[in-house]
Amino acid sequence: MKNVILSVGSEFPEFKKTAVVSIEKGKEFYELSSEELKNSGKWMVMFWWPKDFTFVCPTEIAEFNKHAQDFADRDAVLIGASTDSEFVHAAWRRDHEDLRGLQFPMLADTSKSLAEELGILESNEKVAYRATYIVDPQGIVRWVSLYDLSVGRSVKEVLRVLDALQTDELCPCNWQKGEATLTA
Amino acid sequence: MFATTNQDTAIQLLETVGLAELPVSEKLQALVSADARYLKDLKINVTNALGAATLSKKEAYLIGLSVAVNEKHEALQASFGRLATAEGATEKEIAEVLSCTSLMNANNIYYRFRHFVNKEFYTTTSAGIRMSIMANPVLGKEFFELLSLMISALNGCEMCVTSHEEAVVKHGTEPQRVLEAVRLGAVLKSLIVLL
Repeated sequence: MKNVILSVGSEFPEFKKTAVVSIEKGKEFYELSSEELKNSGKWMVMFWWPKDFTFVCPTEIAEFNKHAQDFADRDAVLIGASTDSEFVHAAWRRDHEDLRGLQFPMLADTSKSLAEELGILESNEKVAYRATYIVDPQGIVRWVSLYDLSVGRSVKEVLRVLDALQTDELCPCNWQKGEATLTA
Repeated sequence: MFATTNQDTAIQLLETVGLAELPVSEKLQALVSADARYLKDLKINVTNALGAATLSKKEAYLIGLSVAVNEKHEALQASFGRLATAEGATEKEIAEVLSCTSLMNANNIYYRFRHFVNKEFYTTTSAGIRMSIMANPVLGKEFFELLSLMISALNGCEMCVTSHEEAVVKHGTEPQRVLEAVRLGAVLKSLIVLL
């Protein structure tokens, strides 16, 4: 099987999925849609992991959570995702000490339709690779990284890329000779 | 569900420079009240500048200390002193940052005058300012030069900036490190004007 991953310059697929946003009874679930995201005018950072209740994942997810405010400061909506169901997500959040205070939604791509459209499904087990997407407010993929199942990510690198994508050097000091006038 | 507010940003901004106990200044409060976009930019700038990859934490805090002294901000001076000490800076190193900042305040004015006027008498007569601390700094010559360069950039002496830049490059310093040291100085100054 050949993986063709949705990459830079492509439109991020539309989706509407259940996400776990809390461990409080009755407030666990939220219908998260690409439409609501688009209307918010914000950037999106979506990171995927293979399976809930496994070892590398909580470390990595806790690290993303530690930087949740940094993403918010950059007008980016942070979303975690895997192909587990919302009930598995909720159970994992309740079960694992590091995950109880999560500040971002955990998307349940139970049908695997989004992971499939993104081209990030591992062929054997049909679980998602550790893909990370940065999507701009227009819904266009601006960065993607794809790590194999056992490799953890650097959240600082994601923030660095986001900064680089967002930094509009509008100051005339940055104009180079011969460049067209900047328009803001 | 994606709405965010600005109210905590100011407090987090103060936390990054160790001023969590300080009340939010009137100027910062004005930005908070107006939900000004700039407040987040400022916080990101300060966090990124302090976390620059080419500067160790101790070096970043010592540069911060120098800027606070240069800008006469006592609370910030105390907090950067604390932060640097926690990263292993010694009393002697802290004292040397203070000394270096003070000396550069003399030199930046004096040499600026000399290159402004550019008359032979002024530029050839010996300077007549004691600079013995430059000879064998406990911070190491490279960092001492880097610090001198950063303060000179803050205080705007062209001759000091060009000569300390040359000196620091001769020590084998990467241009990226030079840039990040000066960026930290510049960004902290942009914070101090709002404190």
